Parts: sequence; structure tokens; C-alpha cells
Amino acid sequence: MSSEVFWRLENITKTFPGVKALSRITLNIYKGEILGLLGENGSGKSTLIKCLSGVYQPDEGCFYKQGKQVRLTTPQVAQQHGIATVYQEFSLVPTLSVTENIFLGKLIKRNGFNDWRRMYEEARAILQKLELNIDPNTVISDLTVAEQQQVEIAKGYTANGSLLILDEPTTALTIPDIKRLHNLLRRLAEQGHTVIYISHRLDEVVQIVDRIAVLRNGVLTGLLDKDEVDINSIIHMMSGKKITEHYPKEKHVRDEVLLEVRHLRTATGVNDVSFKIRRGEVFGLAGLLGSGRTETANALFGIDKVTGGEILLKGQKVRINNPYDAISKGIAYLTENRKTDGLFFNFNGPENTTSAKLKKLLVGKIFKILNLKREDEVFCEYIDSLSIDPLARYQSVNFLSGGNQQKVVIARWLFTEADIFILDEPTQGIDVGAKLEVYKAINQLTKAGKSVLLISSDYTELLSMSDTVGIIRRGVIVKTAPPEELNETAIIEQSITIID
Amino acid sequence: MMKKTKVKLSKSSFIGPLIAALLVAVAIGFTTDRFWDLNNWNNLILSVSITALVAIGSTLVILIGGIDISPGSMIAMLTMILATMVKFEGIPLWAGVLLVVVFGAVLGALNGVLTAYLAIPAFISTLATSSIYKGIAFLFNNGSPIFSVADNLESIFYGKIFDVIPLPLIYVTILYVAFAFYMKYSKLGREIYSVGGNESAAKLSGINVKRVKFYTFIIAGVMAGLGAVLMAARLNSGSPNYGDGLEMSAIAAAVIGGASLSGGVGKIVNTILGAFTIVIVQNGLNLHAVPTSLQSITLGVIIIFAVLIDIWKHLISAAIKKLLAKQAKQVTGTGHTAGW
Repeated sequence: MSSEVFWRLENITKTFPGVKALSRITLNIYKGEILGLLGENGSGKSTLIKCLSGVYQPDEGCFYKQGKQVRLTTPQVAQQHGIATVYQEFSLVPTLSVTENIFLGKLIKRNGFNDWRRMYEEARAILQKLELNIDPNTVISDLTVAEQQQVEIAKGYTANGSLLILDEPTTALTIPDIKRLHNLLRRLAEQGHTVIYISHRLDEVVQIVDRIAVLRNGVLTGLLDKDEVDINSIIHMMSGKKITEHYPKEKHVRDEVLLEVRHLRTATGVNDVSFKIRRGEVFGLAGLLGSGRTETANALFGIDKVTGGEILLKGQKVRINNPYDAISKGIAYLTENRKTDGLFFNFNGPENTTSAKLKKLLVGKIFKILNLKREDEVFCEYIDSLSIDPLARYQSVNFLSGGNQQKVVIARWLFTEADIFILDEPTQGIDVGAKLEVYKAINQLTKAGKSVLLISSDYTELLSMSDTVGIIRRGVIVKTAPPEELNETAIIEQSITIID
Repeated sequence: MMKKTKVKLSKSSFIGPLIAALLVAVAIGFTTDRFWDLNNWNNLILSVSITALVAIGSTLVILIGGIDISPGSMIAMLTMILATMVKFEGIPLWAGVLLVVVFGAVLGALNGVLTAYLAIPAFISTLATSSIYKGIAFLFNNGSPIFSVADNLESIFYGKIFDVIPLPLIYVTILYVAFAFYMKYSKLGREIYSVGGNESAAKLSGINVKRVKFYTFIIAGVMAGLGAVLMAARLNSGSPNYGDGLEMSAIAAAVIGGASLSGGVGKIVNTILGAFTIVIVQNGLNLHAVPTSLQSITLGVIIIFAVLIDIWKHLISAAIKKLLAKQAKQVTGTGHTAGW
């Protein structure tokens, strides 16, 4: 990191009807630094990023690049100024090759024709410079998520110094991949590139960044150097209140075993999974992406076919052939990705809540009709008990924050009167305050005598919220222990597959 | 209470299509007096009825995120079957009518099997069956139309209640009211919206997605069956050329009514407004003796505008709000400086 001011934001203000999303943000960004940008959902982080990448135009304020004022009128203009944004959802074309993606929108031509040979060579040179081991001819869909992200970064690479913006880059990554990403970012910074790093995982941000900027309600509330950083003060700056207890774990374990899985196998990568969950217990399943943790959940919910072993509910052996079976046997499943397979964006809160048990709303003898008034009442009850944003009653769930969306999905499964809750990455991509709400909801579940199967890549969260932890590797549960006997390093050691 | 209705009105998808239909009607009404003639309205209702019935099915299929381009051919085939059964096989008219509706369901079920269970994209599966149904229509009576099917067939179409209300108006009203209610209050109706809104979320909610799609195509088939009965009754005949292009105006009615081709969004009631918009335009152009070629072009242009209005409606309403706020500001004077 040098002392040269690379980019300067001056008095950036952006207003949307009814909200001041950004208010007079002034910020210097130095060449070669990694700047962490933190803030809860709705704090203005995304708006700031969108202004900087030319998607939005600020109402007031200016951008300066190396002292000269620039106007970022469109994303293309921003890109020409070397600003590259890697969003959570990648913008790569899955059916095209790495080279084609890197040069998408800036094709190199010779005599009016695309010069693929030169583009291939240049793509290879960039990948080499970033020390990435990816063949430029590979088709994107054949790459892992981590590799795709590396390609995104390579795409934003410009020789004379770029400003790389990463929005929640690690949500889909495994721990070794995160390490690799951090190394890559370090290399970029050493080569004189600048990185803005946005993440909800505070501990991870603290590891990598040189400075941290904190936003709250559109205002820059803090700017810290690496050595002044401490998690509690960041949380305070983000939320305006002190959160003393990150993990409000309550213990409600009872004796009765609700779910028992014996030597479960599937064709999708579960090889030998056995565990028991008692009433009121949270069983945490730790493992890398692709280790068989989500696949175990899929098998329990009737999505993946069980090829061996048995599932017992309250001591009774059961077969679960499809999600309908699972729901009627009292199993609930919050999937990893609430946007693609959780929420109905064409519905408001109430319709989203009742979708898994519409039967409960039916009234009438000959013509069975949905009792919409009852539906509304039910949803209002959940607004109270889970403290969901009341606007969800009249609005598409599209307009809700991540935490509220997650609570709507939890409400859906409460409405089915499920006993066993499978929560796959329930706090992924939501802010600190909303995470706390999800933890409280987990406590409510266990208090009511439900069992929870918690899957999370955030091992601190997993260790803090579980009553028992199982570690899964290559589809086999290799260790089951109470969280007191484990720590993060132990989980990582156990979950990593050694490749010979 | 006030606030709630306000929210509902401004968000209602009903307004756009209604305004479109009214605008078109007023525009045509101003240019020709004959538009308001009772006889003309009678004609209008008769010509909207078949499209409107078929459009119920098209809307439902669009709601699950599919598309059905077979009802035109289905109608051609079913009018030939009806005419053959009643005229040549001596089956009583009432039984023939009933059977045609059942056959409609069967043809719809075939679309459903191909699309839902064999996972062929709806556009392709119904394109294929459309060709098949059309071909079958030509198998009857050596491919020639069958005239004078039955003496009382025409009364199904031209009959009137109390000598004023045309029967097709009754069919359309009953079916639209029934389907509007069904889509809002029935389990299947809700499931259709769920499947169209997010298929994988629907699956994980325990909804049998394939069955929902299958049923939707059956309903579309039944509506085509009813359309076929009216079509045959209109000229007391069956013809393999009936129903040509009907699927397109039915889809257009749904789209003008605001149904989204990506599924999950759209209302039955708006489809009838869409159907009326199309028919009123066609009627107006007829009254002005505009050639068919131009009529077809006009219909295309209307579809484009209707969809553009739908895409831009947020921008349009934002612009209107801005304008209103500006005026309000001028009225209240200088007191209020904050805001936009």
C-alpha cells in the first residue's frame, strides 16, 4: 500500500424515493490497498458500489481518479477506468470459454475479424501473472465455483492498475479456496492494484484488509486502520448498538430421539452417514462444499434417492420418496439458496408462508376453497413471533432484506408443523443483526421441542449454536462430538480430504 | 382502511389493461357512430367469445411458465369430429358437444404428458401436437368442410336470453367469473402461480409440479373444446381451416392483459380485457373498411405497445408521481424544500 491517493470519493450522495441511501460519503482509496467495506443490509454498501461501477449516478458529489475528476456515466465507462466489480452472482457466460469471457465486450480485432489467437495469448498471460492454474480454453461451466471467481477477477484485470470490487466473494467458497482467494488478492495488491472487499464475515475481513470503512444508514461511521481493528467496535459502528452476545445459544435438549439415520448412502455422494438428533437438539453438520452435507439433507428430504441404510423417525423406519413425503412426515428444509429455491417472488409474505401446507387453509365441504383471511392472520402471527418486517404482508418478498426473507421461509416450515428442521447455511449472505434473529429463531425451535440439523460453513457459528457436531468428509461422518471438545482447527483438519 | 385501498389500487395490475381497452373503445367510438350501435356490440361480443374462452387456457399455461400454440389446430380437429359424429354417425347433438369437450381434455392431456412428464419444452411439444391435430383434422371427410351439421347447432352461438343477451356473453361471463374465483381460492389455482413463480421452490414445498402442469394443459384443452363447439355453431359446420391463428390472438389477449411469459404473474380478469382490446380494434378497423393486411399489422403493433407499457409501467408511474409532487409543491408554496 502506498500513500498515493488512487481514487477519491467526495460528498457522494444518492437518494431514492423516500430514502437517502448515501449521504455525503468522502473517502480516499490508496493505490495497492485492500479496503474492507462493512455495513448491514440496507446500509448503502451496494448503492456505493453501484455508483462506483457506473450502474447508478450519484445525485451529488464527484469521483477523482489520481486527482482528476471523472464521470462514471455507465458500467462501460467505469470499466474503461479500470473499475471491475465481481458480484455475488457471477456475470460469466457459462457456455463460453475462459478467453471468450475475459474478452467479452472488448474483443481484439484484426482486419475486422476477431483475433482469437492473440486474445488466447493475452488471457494466458493474465492468468499466469495472477498465478492461476486455469487453461484459457476451458469452458466456464466445467470450472469450480472458486475457479469461476478467479476468472471474474482475471476479467477485471487491467495492466495499468485496476480497482477491483468484490461483493461477498467467499459465501460459496470452501476454507482452502478462501485462503487461495486471499493470497490472490494479496498478490494483486502487491502488484499495485487496489481492492475493495465486502463481506459479512467480520473475522475474515479482519484477516485480509489494510483498512476498514464502515457504513450505517448511508453514512460513513468509521474508518479504521488494520491495527486499530477490533470486532466489537466494528459491530458497534455497523449497528449503532453493542452486541455483546454473538451467539445467544440456549440448550433445550431432551431425551427422545426424533431422527436417526443409519449408514445412509446415496448415488450423489453420501457414503456412510449415521447420526441421531434428539428433541430440542441442534446437530451441526460440518464439512466442505461437496463433502456430502447438502446431499445428506437432500436425501432426508426425498430429493436425492436413498440407495442404502435407513432413516428412522421417532423410532419408526420410514421411506421418503419426495418432498411431499418429507413434509407430511414433519421434515422441513431451508435450502442453501433461498433465492433460487426458497422464495416465490411473485407472492407477498402470506402466500410464501403457506405454500408448503396449503391444505391447512382449505375450508368447505363440497368445494374446498382457501381461507385467505386465515392466511393473512397466520402471517400476522409470524410477523409477531419471528419479528418479520410487517411490510411483507402487502409486498413481494423481493423487497425484503435477506434476514427477513430467511424468516419468511422459516415461517413457512413452522406453518407445516414440522418437527425436524434442516437448515442449510441459514445465515449465508445476511447481516449481523439478521444473523442474530436467525439464531433466536433456532432457539425458539429447540425450545418448542423441534430438532435442528444445522449445516454451516461458518464453523464458529456451527460450534456455538450446536449441541452436537458431526464432521463429514467424502460422504462419511468421520467424527461426532460435543462442540466443547472441538475447535475450528480440529474441524478443518478433519474435514479436509488429503489428495494423494 | 383508506391507505390499504390506495396501496391496492396503485399496485393493481387491472388498471393498465382496462385503460388500454377503454382508450381503444373511445378512439374508435369517436371516429365512427356505428361503433355504439347495439348490433355492432352484439357482433363484437360474438367475435370476442371464442378467443376469450381459448384465452383462459392460454393464460393458465402462460402462468405456469409455458406456452400453448396448439388450440387453433385443436379447434379445427374438434369441429371436424363434432360434424362427423353428429352428421354422419347420428350421435345426438348434446352427446356430440359433450364428447368434443372430453376430446379437448384428452388432447390437452397429451400436451400435458409431453410437456410435464416427458419434459419437452412447451413451445416445441405444442408446436408438434399443433401439426398433428391439424393433420388429423384433414383426415375427416377427405379434408373438405362439413356443412349443415345439425338444425339446432346454431342456436348455441346465436341464441339469446330474453331476446337481448347473446348466449356467448353468458358463457364468457360465467367462465371468467368461475376461473377468476378458482385461481384465487382453489389449491390448484395457487399451485399454478407457485409453479410459475419458482418451480424449484414449488417442488421443495411438496407441490407435485408435474401434475400441476399436466392439469393446466387439460384445462387448456377443455377450453379449446368449448371454443370448438362455438366455432362449429357459428357457421353450423366443421372445417379443418377453422381456428387458424386463434392461438396467437389468445396468447396476445393474455399478454395484453399483463400476463408475464416468464410465469407466475397475470390475472384471468385482465385477459378478457386483453381479448376485448384486440376485438375492438379489429371491429373498428372493419367499420372503417381497413384491409385485412393492415388489421394484422395493427394487432402486432398493439401487442408490442401493450408489453412495452407493462415493462415501463414502473417508470411511467414514477414519472406521474414526480409530476404530481411537483404540482403539489407549487400549490403549497415554498414551505417544502426537501424531497426529490
